Amino acid sequence: MTTFVIRRLLLAIPTLIGVTILTFCLIHLAPGGPQVALAGEKATPEQIARLTHQLGLDRPLYVQYADWVGALLHGDLGFSYLRQAPVVQLIGQRLPQTMLLMGCALLVSVVLAVPLGVYQAYRRNTAFDRTASVAVFVAWSMPTFWFGTILIAIFAVTLRWFPVGGLQTIDTTAFDWPSRFMHLVLPAATLAIVSMAGWSRYIRGSMVDQLREDYTRTAIAKGLHTRTVLFRHTLRNALIPFITLLGGTVPALFGGAVITEQIFAYPGMGQLFWQSAIDRDYSTLLGMTVLTAVMVILGNLLADVLYGVVDPRVRYD
Amino acid sequence: MTEAAIVLPVDEADAPPLKRRRARLSGVAWASIVWLVFVVLACAAGPALIGLNPDITDVAHAYAAPNAHHLLGTDNLGRDELTRLLAGGRISLSVGAIAALVAMLIGTVYGALAGYYGRWLDTLLMRVVDVFLAIPTLFLLLFLAAMFHGNLLTLMIVIGVTSWLGPARLVRGEVLTLKERLYVEAARSLGAGDRRIIFRHVVPNAVGTIITTTTFMIASAMLAETALSYLGIGVRAPMPSWGNLLTGAQSDIFAQAWWLILPPGLAILITVTALNFLGDWLREQGDYRT
Repeated sequence: MTTFVIRRLLLAIPTLIGVTILTFCLIHLAPGGPQVALAGEKATPEQIARLTHQLGLDRPLYVQYADWVGALLHGDLGFSYLRQAPVVQLIGQRLPQTMLLMGCALLVSVVLAVPLGVYQAYRRNTAFDRTASVAVFVAWSMPTFWFGTILIAIFAVTLRWFPVGGLQTIDTTAFDWPSRFMHLVLPAATLAIVSMAGWSRYIRGSMVDQLREDYTRTAIAKGLHTRTVLFRHTLRNALIPFITLLGGTVPALFGGAVITEQIFAYPGMGQLFWQSAIDRDYSTLLGMTVLTAVMVILGNLLADVLYGVVDPRVRYD
Repeated sequence: MTEAAIVLPVDEADAPPLKRRRARLSGVAWASIVWLVFVVLACAAGPALIGLNPDITDVAHAYAAPNAHHLLGTDNLGRDELTRLLAGGRISLSVGAIAALVAMLIGTVYGALAGYYGRWLDTLLMRVVDVFLAIPTLFLLLFLAAMFHGNLLTLMIVIGVTSWLGPARLVRGEVLTLKERLYVEAARSLGAGDRRIIFRHVVPNAVGTIITTTTFMIASAMLAETALSYLGIGVRAPMPSWGNLLTGAQSDIFAQAWWLILPPGLAILITVTALNFLGDWLREQGDYRT
């Protein structure tokens, strides 16, 4: 196990180096740059040239890269000249919000997907199963922002159950749990819908496979309750491959967060990424991409390790 | 559900599952094909048949409810919504199709090379895929779309070059098994070069996987178009696209103009669902063939 983890971590190093090179080249080859945004619209070419020089953006690319990676290795994600703040600080303000949003979305989609998938498998090929399958396909094909808009139109504008957007009610400066929770419901539901659809399909298929196994037949023959068979025997085994799937959703969640946070004016990582892309704020974009890549790689590793913990048949060597 | 018995799926395991699954899905698959053909024909011929210009504004008749002259009413500038919907469909469908083509082209060549040559090239190419996979696709998509926000062609290419990872991995997997087949050996013994074997013998035999993946790719590329248009870096307004119409309709929620909100949303939703159904059906066909 330890060797497996160490080997995987070592293998992650070239991947991370690749990520830094790829994002660095992409971002620096793109037209425009922070100096243009920083100088303002009325800047003369001379002013822009001076700024470019001051920011060190006229040095050869490999020198800039070496500088950046060197700082990165010391835990320094860079400094955003545009926002006049260290990138770590910018991310630090927003990462907890996005993690909270992602966590809630994960929870919602698992809580909805597992029972739905189990019940579909239990009642497979009935009218319920077919209707649910079509519904799940529709949910899977839904443009995120359209779904979010519909939720806002129904639950925020018409029914007024939840706020339209934001983090919490503005007048409260302290951390206000009830308000925070109310602001999380709609964005979490929006972010959850797509993964919920994919997972319930997956669990249905996995459950049908497990129901075919001999141990299920044995359990039923012993006269166990349906619920016991479904949830204590079958589901446990059906969930094993699902763990790997969970680890792989980290990038999709981060991506989905960009749209969701935009719809609900939720100040998280996605919104920061989007604003930085528009402003061509190099340092923030680079820092965020690297940090996200690390989280993606760790997420996959964690899923693989958990897979072995849950399924004793898996051997790492 | 205390005493309800669990029906074991033995019937599916023992009886030939082929007919049953195929028969069940083909109804949905048929409906999907009919819808897709209808949409493509309507978008291709519709605007000409209606005879209205999708770009001509008529502010005096803004927000007109559906009537005999404007079957789906008019938008905030008095433009005919049905014409815009069909003209927008052309754009959205072309973006989906061409972006998917770009992704499949890159993915197929990439995956075929990795799978066919194997060894260090495979390792190298797949490590590069790992690098791309570590970055959320939407991050790359947003970044590139924001940087190169210009005409339709760049939009198609940007969506295409950010979605080739899936196809590349699938084609690689397929090629890995196909290259061991007897006919590949036969072709080689007849003196065929690598390039000929890959593109004349191996890739054509992976066509099932390729077509299935293309279907899913069109669906996801169309969704990407709506997402980018929503963020203002997709199709440039005033050119209509389903993403643009949908985004524009957001501000019409308060105008209670359902004819501006529902049609583009349903058009994209049903089309993407149909593509996904079709892809799923194709995939099941492929599963049984092997």
